[in-house]
Amino acid sequence: MKQKLMILLVVAGGFLAGTRALAHHSFAATYFEDKTEKIEGNLVQFLFRNPHSFVQVEAEDEHGVMQRWAVEWGAGGQLGRQGVTRDTLKPGDHVIIVGNPGRNPEDHRMRMVNITRPSDGWKWGGSFE
Amino acid sequence: MIKFLKPVPRWGLVIVIAFIGVSLSAEVDLSGTWANRGHQDWLDRGRGPDVVDYLGLPISEAGREKALAYTSALQSEPERQCEYYAPTYMVLGPFGLNIWNETDPVTSKIIAWRMGAWIDKDIDTVWMDGRAHPSKNAFHPYSGFTTGVWEGDTLTTRSTHMKVAYIRRNGTPTSDQTTLTEHIVRHGDILAIMGIIEDPVYLTEPAVMASIWEQDPHANVPRMSQACEPIAEDPRLEDGTVPHYLPGKNPFVNEVTQIYHIPQEAVMGGAETMYPEFRKKIKDKYIRPEKCDRYCCGPVTDPALKCIRDGSGKER
Repeated sequence: MKQKLMILLVVAGGFLAGTRALAHHSFAATYFEDKTEKIEGNLVQFLFRNPHSFVQVEAEDEHGVMQRWAVEWGAGGQLGRQGVTRDTLKPGDHVIIVGNPGRNPEDHRMRMVNITRPSDGWKWGGSFE
Repeated sequence: MIKFLKPVPRWGLVIVIAFIGVSLSAEVDLSGTWANRGHQDWLDRGRGPDVVDYLGLPISEAGREKALAYTSALQSEPERQCEYYAPTYMVLGPFGLNIWNETDPVTSKIIAWRMGAWIDKDIDTVWMDGRAHPSKNAFHPYSGFTTGVWEGDTLTTRSTHMKVAYIRRNGTPTSDQTTLTEHIVRHGDILAIMGIIEDPVYLTEPAVMASIWEQDPHANVPRMSQACEPIAEDPRLEDGTVPHYLPGKNPFVNEVTQIYHIPQEAVMGGAETMYPEFRKKIKDKYIRPEKCDRYCCGPVTDPALKCIRDGSGKER
């Protein structure tokens, strides 16, 4: 019961905090929210900021061609409440990211669903909706 | 008893009138922190509207053309990333509200209400001191220019001098000639704001929208906007590309029709689509989908609550 209550509080908190970060543009109009894709590569830049943070990663596309991907994440304040700081990720980190693909494939853009850094097992799979 | 009914001295009358003046004042205290209750239009206010969906908006042909040219990558341009929405966003956005007032230090009269900023909206100042709106050629700041007057317990405001913005976050535009009339009503702990948006360029009729807040001292709603720093969000734009769709080339025109079976003539919006009579007009063209494929559970976030909206028995 206690565990269920904790899960409920975490999810509810994520929702309330999340509403702070999604006003800048419509996620539904920017990404295919009912699809996911996975990329694996090295982090080029972590932009911890408002209104949305971005992770940029060099990783292969579905044709095996190396691309620079822009992965949209939560606002700085929102991620901070979920334990992510501006020092959590560093250029060169090898990461695996699952996200909702952007509507324009040429953008190589995704909306973060979860991220893993295999070297130390660090993971994030929170919510910013 | 007879003694009590003796004529009241003049100074006493002054005191009585002064007290009556206080008790009969129509002004209502709006100050405090208010949590948004997004129980209506949750998709629009929350994760955002569908990419091409202008249903229920009285958009003009020019508004439709501009909306169809829009791609949200536009807002990844460095010069647009930190732009604010116009004051019309008050009745469109999903955020809590922090309201306070400015008083005259001599008279203690309220000279302005401040409607706090959001991450993407400036502080809106509602001037209550009877000042006139500036010349139509004056600068249009992100906050526009707003004056207010109490009509009974309702604060009615009028905003002008706004910048070009959006009436729906899928690129449906409003022009810099837009005006906003708001009726702000407090019912105990509930704050209701009804906005009437008029735009001679991109709307053919007024669009009426409303939003609800509930007073919550724990809402922790900031007054100021958080810092925003332009960056290279989208590598494709680094060569100066201006993202857009050319006329007739928007690839998502049919998406809402495919998913929800809503006829194109409804999806494309226009004043007619605001009215109940329009439902009768498209009745024979609409076939309800057999099952719900997405956004089936509304704003529900309680994982313990099962959401089944079709006959499949599968939770969605």
